[in-house]
Amino acid sequence: MKRFHIFLLFTACLLVAGWSPVPILGQQNAATDALPPAYTLSPNNATPVDDSPAEHEELANWKIKAEKMQKEDRGAHNASVTPSYNFHYGSNNPYTPGNLTVEGDGFLQPSAYPSAEYCGTCHHEAYSQWRQALHSNAFRTPFYRTSVNLLIRDKTRGIAFARHCDSCHNPIGVLSGALTEDSKIDRSEFDSDGLTCMTCHSVISLDSTNGNGSFKMGVPSVIVDEKGERIPGMVPFDMILKHPERHSKAVMHDFLHTPEFCASCHKANLPVTLNDYKFIRAFTDYDEWQQSKFSQRNPLTFYTADFTTCQNCHMKRNAIALPDYGAKNGTFASHRWLAGNTAVPFYYGFDEQLNKTIDFLREGNYLNVDIFALRKADGDAMIAPLGRVSFNLSPSENIEAYVVVQNKNIGHSLIPEVRDLYEAWLEFTVKDASGKEIYHSGFLNPDGFLDPRAHSFTNRPVTDQGEFVDNHKVWTIHSVAYDNTVQAGRSVLIRYKFRLPADVQNAYTVTAKVNYRHLRQSYINNVLGKDHPAYPVIEVASRTRILKIGENLPEAGNAADNPEWMRWNNLGIALFDQFQYQESIQAFAQVVKLRPSYADGYINVGLTDIVWEKFESARKAIHRALALDPKSARALYYDGLLERRAGNTDRELADFSTVVGMFPQSRDARRELGIFYYRQHDYDAALKQFEALQKIDPDDLAAHYNLAILYRRMGKPKEAAEQQAKFADKKVDPGAPTYSLDYLHAHPEITIESIPWHLHSDQ
Amino acid sequence: MHLNMKSKVLTTLGICLLALPGFCRAANNCTWINEATVSGLLGGMAIVEVTEADTNGTTICEFTQQGDGFKRVFRLTVDVTSEAHARLESLVPSCKIDAFPLKAIGNEAQACTMNDLKSGQGERAIGRVRDQLFTILIYTSLKDDPILTRETLKIRINTAAELVAGNLF
Repeated sequence: MKRFHIFLLFTACLLVAGWSPVPILGQQNAATDALPPAYTLSPNNATPVDDSPAEHEELANWKIKAEKMQKEDRGAHNASVTPSYNFHYGSNNPYTPGNLTVEGDGFLQPSAYPSAEYCGTCHHEAYSQWRQALHSNAFRTPFYRTSVNLLIRDKTRGIAFARHCDSCHNPIGVLSGALTEDSKIDRSEFDSDGLTCMTCHSVISLDSTNGNGSFKMGVPSVIVDEKGERIPGMVPFDMILKHPERHSKAVMHDFLHTPEFCASCHKANLPVTLNDYKFIRAFTDYDEWQQSKFSQRNPLTFYTADFTTCQNCHMKRNAIALPDYGAKNGTFASHRWLAGNTAVPFYYGFDEQLNKTIDFLREGNYLNVDIFALRKADGDAMIAPLGRVSFNLSPSENIEAYVVVQNKNIGHSLIPEVRDLYEAWLEFTVKDASGKEIYHSGFLNPDGFLDPRAHSFTNRPVTDQGEFVDNHKVWTIHSVAYDNTVQAGRSVLIRYKFRLPADVQNAYTVTAKVNYRHLRQSYINNVLGKDHPAYPVIEVASRTRILKIGENLPEAGNAADNPEWMRWNNLGIALFDQFQYQESIQAFAQVVKLRPSYADGYINVGLTDIVWEKFESARKAIHRALALDPKSARALYYDGLLERRAGNTDRELADFSTVVGMFPQSRDARRELGIFYYRQHDYDAALKQFEALQKIDPDDLAAHYNLAILYRRMGKPKEAAEQQAKFADKKVDPGAPTYSLDYLHAHPEITIESIPWHLHSDQ
Repeated sequence: MHLNMKSKVLTTLGICLLALPGFCRAANNCTWINEATVSGLLGGMAIVEVTEADTNGTTICEFTQQGDGFKRVFRLTVDVTSEAHARLESLVPSCKIDAFPLKAIGNEAQACTMNDLKSGQGERAIGRVRDQLFTILIYTSLKDDPILTRETLKIRINTAAELVAGNLF
């Protein structure tokens, strides 16, 4: 009896101190450099092994003990954490401004999560990749800590607000109640592992596509019993090895393979609970993907592609180099999540991750750089496309060069996510035969800063004082002065003007290359001070052309060059996005000329005409497209808009209904069909469309606006008020552009970047 | 009945003892690492005493786990100085025994075995985050500490340095 009380006291003391003698039930963490326990893989579709009655009983007893221990540990943990926890948003919202939730009552103790080393015992390959990947370093990296520490130290905010960021960067910390002023939690157990194996593999449901950690964390479990019920905590490895199918059922939910799973964190907004201002979109890879050709959910993309998910690009299956019982046919889905972050592997010295990241960026055929055209002096005709036409050049000529950069195969924008921190830009050089520079844009200064006049695919968030949010203090963002990202499938035209020297002879070389640096120099300086090594600059894509003084003849293209019709198409798309409608139509006309059977060429002409409000011309082009491809959802959509304008309601309805039938997740078609029904006073049908639209995109303003009206008309004031409030919160503050103007006035060196149609020149 | 009573008294006493530390301990006021974390690193409940920044900008957090006839200590010193790199360089010669670099911790950091202990054993970490110089000592008065073994000390000094540096960023 005495011994029991001493044990109780000792255990409770340890738990109060925020740590437990883990693992109590399971094994000690196994080192991943040891061989995994012996196991013979069962053939695919093999019948699971039946348990003997004794084994059934053993498992049942284990489950009872595990559940009891989990309950007691969690109870003790909550007794320790709850009294001093800062419930800034009330006791019902312990994790706000994050969106995550957890199974069961109260905070979840960190010791509930089996460690990465435990998983790594059988999954060497996954463990070794994960250790170098962004997910495992999501919290500890200084590039993150510097930002979140600013939020924690901010006098108007504090650590409770950091739940917004840590919901995705350190969910174990958030859900355990560690993010409070007087934390009682031992951070050494989880800070270094960021998103450990059993964070993703413990998620039991996705609550929405709102992002900011919109998932529900289950009590971590690595195995289910024969009834499919989850058993909490670690179990002996032989239990898993005997029933890998039960292990799989516990840790491998189908949604792990979906973009919606990634969306729970790779989509973020700045809610009013964080910024005390209003909803501001931070980033949304998910929506960008959904609007891209790779989702096959949007009929309005300029190009088409096979259905490709986030995982298809960022978790490609590779042959395993280390033992891993999760491998199938000797391959395993990459747990490196290769993407664009070179800073973290560079800082940690993870050379393998760094090199693979660089290879990933360079080898993906993600971008196409096309030195498309020249224009001599003002008013002269465009010499285009370069390589296909003959022309003459002379010394002393003033030349404009047109470079088209196509976001060809990225399933999201260039640059995605926090593009105020990352840096991708076009470096453009003109050199004579001796290598002497004639013109250079996009160079790096000796202090590592990028040429301020470079064309950068970045944005500039600003505060309500019109100042650039340099330190990623996202809660101070009130406006965006400009955003020069290139969305998936789109192209951008970048123009340069330079003068050929009088003494230039023979040939000169023009090079355009897209460089990428993770992160901006000023941000690295903010994190590490100025005395840090230079961070890698990666050339993602480039194109060089040799131009001769005198006559230039057509030449063979490079293997990576787009076909001629696509070069014109990309120019047309870029001009369209820069509001140069006449030139855009001229470019698309070239596409039609080169590919007369390509319906999208006509659609592009029609689309531009619609935006330019030349509806008769648009109608001809769209009808031509439909004649070529009567089932083109894209053509039908634009035809629907034109039929609406012409008052042909039956045709309008038929068009939009067909598109929705073909693309049920098309936001645009749902929206237009909803508007159609609303105009016809068919409110039930309209409601159905706007509700469907809101499921696809919970932030769609048209859905909020129309649902507010429809609910009110239908006698649902509560729902109407909710939609109205969301509309008001998410709609851009009409006063916000003044903050941007203040910033741009103060920074004339980059003001032109805020104007879509601009020219880079040193003249 | 008598036994039941005795059991209840013992349980109540146990609960009271458990609650006591919560009432008695000062606020968890070391900016860069909390008591629970250091308790985990030392292997038992530690109490912190903080000496706020002096005129030289030096702050000291000293965590002590007082055991029966032994103690384990975690001592963190943070200096804010414009010459952090130079000062760190000057500390390097005093941190030579079994020295090893602490990779990817702060701007630069290294650890070594403490050689100035009268008894017991310990590890030292010195490092820098921008203009903030930090020193961490983890030591035990026990020569053959079953929890803070030489091997464990090396792992924990690394963990401690990473956690502290993370909060200094």
